[in-house]
Order: sequence, then structure tokens, then C-alpha cells
Amino acid sequence: MSSALEKPQIIAHIQKSLNYTVFDSQWIPCSAKFVCMGNFARGSGVLQIYEIQHGELQLVREIEKAKPIKCGTFGATSLQQRHLATGDFDGSLNVWNLEVPESPVYSVKAHKEIINSIDGVGGLGIGDGAPEIVTGSRDGTVKVWDSRQKDTPVVNMEPMEGETKRDCWTVAFGHAFNDQDRCVCAGYDNGDIKLFDLRNMSLRWETNIKNGVCSVEFDRKDINMNKLVATSLEGKFHVFDMRTQHPTKGFASVSEKAHKSTIWQVRHLPQNRDIFMTAGGAGNLHLWKYEYPAQRTKKGADDVDMGVAGSVNLLQNVTLSTQPISSLDWSPDKQGLCVCSSFDQSVRVLIVTKLNTV
Amino acid sequence: MPLIVKDHTWTQNQNTVYISVPLKGVKPASVHVICTDEYLKVSFPPFLFEVFLFGSINEERSEARIGNGVAVFTLQKRRDESWEQLFTNIDKDKQKQIREQAVLKVQQKEAEKSKAKAARIQQEKKYALETMMKLENKERDRIQKMKDEECARATAELDFWRETQRKTAEEKENQQKTRGTGPQDNQPVNQKTVTLMRNTGDTTSGQRSRKQTAKDLPAPRSAGCIQISFTPRVFPTALRESRVPEEEEWLKKQAEARRAVDTDLAELDDLREDERNPDWLKEKGDKLFMSGNYQAAVNAYNLAIKLNRKIPALFSNRAACHLKLRNLHKAIEDSSQALELLKPAVAANASARLKAHVRRGTAFCELELYVEGLQDYQAALEIDPHNAALRADSDKICEIIQGTT
Repeated sequence: MSSALEKPQIIAHIQKSLNYTVFDSQWIPCSAKFVCMGNFARGSGVLQIYEIQHGELQLVREIEKAKPIKCGTFGATSLQQRHLATGDFDGSLNVWNLEVPESPVYSVKAHKEIINSIDGVGGLGIGDGAPEIVTGSRDGTVKVWDSRQKDTPVVNMEPMEGETKRDCWTVAFGHAFNDQDRCVCAGYDNGDIKLFDLRNMSLRWETNIKNGVCSVEFDRKDINMNKLVATSLEGKFHVFDMRTQHPTKGFASVSEKAHKSTIWQVRHLPQNRDIFMTAGGAGNLHLWKYEYPAQRTKKGADDVDMGVAGSVNLLQNVTLSTQPISSLDWSPDKQGLCVCSSFDQSVRVLIVTKLNTV
Repeated sequence: MPLIVKDHTWTQNQNTVYISVPLKGVKPASVHVICTDEYLKVSFPPFLFEVFLFGSINEERSEARIGNGVAVFTLQKRRDESWEQLFTNIDKDKQKQIREQAVLKVQQKEAEKSKAKAARIQQEKKYALETMMKLENKERDRIQKMKDEECARATAELDFWRETQRKTAEEKENQQKTRGTGPQDNQPVNQKTVTLMRNTGDTTSGQRSRKQTAKDLPAPRSAGCIQISFTPRVFPTALRESRVPEEEEWLKKQAEARRAVDTDLAELDDLREDERNPDWLKEKGDKLFMSGNYQAAVNAYNLAIKLNRKIPALFSNRAACHLKLRNLHKAIEDSSQALELLKPAVAANASARLKAHVRRGTAFCELELYVEGLQDYQAALEIDPHNAALRADSDKICEIIQGTT
């Protein structure tokens, strides 16, 4: 009995039912508030800011916008400003000051179709270099934006002439450990994962994991790339060891099948980069810990270094809902606090205990 | 007939009668006693002792002790009186009645006893169940309490953290007020909040972060474009788009074709075993085609088709033979038949379809039906867009058509 309670427990602290479909929820850095983004049944977008008070959620502010909002990030703003960058169903990228939400601080028609995923780097005092935002869209392109440059992206990753386009479902920044280096990883619906090096403006690595890639994330954005987790349809996720790249075989990986359904989201714990949580299509959450192998590199057949993947252990799992949990965000300020939203029009605040002893 | 025992002895006092019956060597276990208020019967086969009592006794308070070769009955009298004799003289009918009553009474008593026993067992089971449930509930409550404590502790920590957040936010505001506004002045505040958030009291790191915010951010990246291509669509593809059902259908059709051998033809009796095998015949036909003996090849294919009408390759190859023999209409028929059999159109039979289209197209052109021929060449190009010869031929046909119209 005691050993079962030494494992981390996932406790559903607060649950709130909303009257709109919520696609994404993000913590506002350095506060006990978070933002929920989604769309009303009447077809307009909504941003709601909630604060946790006395074990309940208080609605602080509700902002309605013309187009439904699919995703958002605080990754590219400073801690003082805390501007939210959102991508909407129309393909527009907007950066909002939540105190003055009437007109955006920066706005651009980024893509021709819905922006599926957005990520920011260089803000919040994390990492070096210019703050940038990357968006991935159904039109098959991935674009990187700098809020100081209007209307055109600083980098555009698009299909070649005559190539049939594939939806980009997810993007993530990584490898941003100094002013110059930065990498963008993009996952597509046919199972392609592509890693772009923005310093050399080239494709650094690509692979195909057979099933559409729902979510990619580096374990830390602001270090030399260490690990990358990619989740896909049909319940599989892959953890790539990104420290050693073999010229032909690429990166070593370990894959795990869980959830028995699409894994919608993966998020690493900000305080411990070896712990991550995956959110599944059956409304369940799995908490995992990655164990490094004894040797992270080994000599391959042709005397070239290749990476060795470690192993993944399931720490805890819990089923919260019958509908997929579409988004998950750890609080950067309090270890173990996270907010998740699911397609049953509800948002939940969870507490995961004992993460400091795991 | 049991032996009636008559050598019993009895004594009495005011309220009790003692009867002692010798057991005559019979084991005590086989002694059976029936006793009512007016009648006592002791049967120990082969002996029988019965007595119709003089007065009525209290059967419940009487007892019998059986052992040591004798059965001693201590009967409590209902009324304290002295009996003149042990038994009364009653007539036979009355005797029978009393006997029957006694038996009935005994049966009733047994029934009641067993009912009582059943009820008692039931009650004990219920009790056991209740205690078990109580224990389990206690266990469950204990676990729940531990979980609740955990939850309460986490909530308390959360509230405490929120308080500290609020306090630091207030402190930051106060400091901003006291130090006045201005970009330079904000920096020590930034540094201070950063150190508060990160819980580092290290002044050197604080100085470094100040230096960084003072420095300009790097200029926006110079525009770049990276062109990408996607993994080509080979089977298995992204499962949502896979043409698995069609591929399966094609494979099944192939399997059926293999099995559809029509063997009940009279002419076949005089053929060798080899010559009944469509595959062998097809190979023979191919060899004859290679060596230039087109008519013989056609014969071989004919026989093979007679055996198995479902193999598209036979029709396609026969079409090629007919083409060489300039039997153009037959060539068109055969390649059409082949194309019919090559449905559904999947990657697996692409090359076969290509050949059939080309042959039919050629036949049409030879017959000067250029439009139909062009259609077939277009279809072939769709299957294999990179074939230069095909492209050249279809261009030639286009020119001819445009020349004649």
C-alpha cells in the first residue's frame, strides 16, 4: 500500500465546464492565471482568463474575437510584457496584450489555411537570441516570424514546386542555446518529422514514423538539443536522443505504445527535463520518466558515433474524461501544477505530487 | 416381530419416575427413543419396550441416560402424585392412536429443530458478512483519508505559493513607484524580480542578466527559405489515405484466378499433365513468341485461356501475338479483355496495365482509329509519365490527328 502512494499522484484539483469548444490553454507566466482559447458555437473566437482562487476558477476576463483561435504561446514575450501570440482558423498570427485586447500588438496573415500549431522562443528570460514565433499550418508551410519585421516571415519552410502539400500538424523550437543557433522541428500528417537548422538555413534531419505526427517537443528549448519526443496517431510516441547524429541513420530513438488511441499532446516538466506527460484520445494522461542508457554513444559499424536511446518508464496514469485531452501546459512557476483542456468543453487544473522525489 | 422387553424395573418418588430398561447387549448407539407426555417407546432391535404411562409427564424436563448396558429414564411427573403402576390399561385402538400421535409429534419436533438450526446458521452468516463489510469499509476510509490529506496538503501549498506570488507582485509595484519610471530604473527591478522568481540570491548572475537586457537584441534574421519535399507515397502510406481495400481486392482476384481451372473439357483427356497447366502453357507461349513463331504462341495461349479464363497476362500476351500477326481486331479484343481483368487499378498491376494500353493503342493506330489510339496512349502516360518513347509516340499521333482534321 505504501509503495503505491510513493508514486506521483495526479489529482484533479479543479474542473470547470465551459460553454465553448476549447482548443488550447496556457499559463500566464509568473501568476496563478491561465488563458483558455477556443471558439463559440456561433463561430467566433474566444480568449478567457481564469484565476485560481480558494479551490475554484474565477473568470477574470473574456475577450471575443472574429475568428476561432486554435493555439497560443507566451514563449516569445518578455516577462514584463507577457503578450500572447495566437494562431487562428483563418491563418492569421496575432500577438495580444491581454490588458488591452482590442487591437493586437502585431498581426499578420501568416498562412492561407488554419494555423495548427505555434511555438515561441527567446522570451520569458529563457534562452538567448531574438524572440521568434514559428507557426505550422494546414497549407504545408512552416514560417518563422519576428515581431519587429512586418508582413514577411524571417524563414519560410515550404514544399518544393509541384510537390503535393501535406498538413503540418505541429512545430517546436529547440537548440536555442546561444544567439545564433536555433532549430525548428515540424511534424506532418503523413508521419514526416523534419528538423530545420535556422543558422544554416537548411534541413538538418528528416524521418518518417509512418503515422501522422500530432505533437513534437524538445525537452528544453534553450540548451544544446538533448531529447525530442514525437507523438502520433495510433498510440505510439518516439523519444529521440538528439545529442548524436549519425550521417545516415539519424538519431537513435525508443518508441512506446500507450493510450490505445491518438496521443494528442506531449509536454515536458519545466523543472525536470526527463519527466513528461502525454495526453491521449481516450481522455487519459500518462506520466513518463526517461532513463538514460549507461553509454549515450557507441561506435557503429563504420567507426562513426551513433546514439543510444534509453528507456521510458510509466510513472502514473489517470483517466479524466471520455473525450480527447487536446492540450496540456505545465506551470513554469509551481512544480506539478498543470492545466489541461479537453473536447468535452471543460478545462481542468491538475496537481501532480511527489515529482521532486521521483 | 420385535421382542418385547418385560424385565424392566421402575421406581418413583413424589415427582419423578425412574425406569430402567436393560439393553441386553445391544450397543447404546442403536437405541431409539420416542417419548411423549403419555407414552414411552424404546426400540433397540431386535428388542422393543413400550409403555403407556399411568399419568402424564413433562417430556421436556425428562431425561434419558443410555449406557452401561442399561437405559435409565428420569421422567418428570406433571402432577405430584404417586402412581399405582407404571402403565395404564388401554384398548388396542387407543394404543394405536397414541402411537401415531407420538410419531407425529416426534416428526414435528425434528422439523422445528432443523428449522431453528437453519435460522441460526443464516443469522451467523449475516453477522460474519456484516463484520467483513465493516472491516473493508474501515480500510477504504483509511486509504481515502490518506489521499485527502495528500490533496489538502497540495492545495495548501498552492495557496501559499499564490500568496507569495501576489506579495512579490505588490512589492514589485511598490518598488516601481518609489524608484520612479524610466527605462534605466526598470532594469534593477527586472533583475530583482528575476532573482525572486528564480530563487537565486547570486549577485553575479543578476549582474549578467542586467548586462544582457542593456544590450540590444540581435537584429531580425535575414530572410531565408528552405524548400522541402515529403516522403513519397508508397504503400503503406499515411493510413488515412491508404488504398488497402483496393490492394486487397486485387490480391484476392489473383488468388481466385489461380484456382479457376476449368478442367471438364472432353478434349483434355488426351493431353499430357504439363499441357493442362496454364502456367506451363504461358511459358511455352512466351518462348514461342520470343523465337518468332507467333501462330504457335497463339495456339498455346488459346489452350491456356481455355483452361483458365481469369489470368490477364494470357490475354495481354495473346494480344501482342495478334499484333505481330497483324490480326488487329483480335489484338484489340484481347487487350480489352486483359484490361477488364486488371481492375481494380492498383500499383501492383501498373506495368501490366501499361503494356495492355500500349498494345491496344498501337492496334488502334494501325487501324487508323487515331483518336481511340491516342486515348490509350494517354492512359499509358498517366501510369508512367516518365517514359520518353511513349511521349514521343503520343505526340506523333496528336500531329497526325491535327493533320487530318
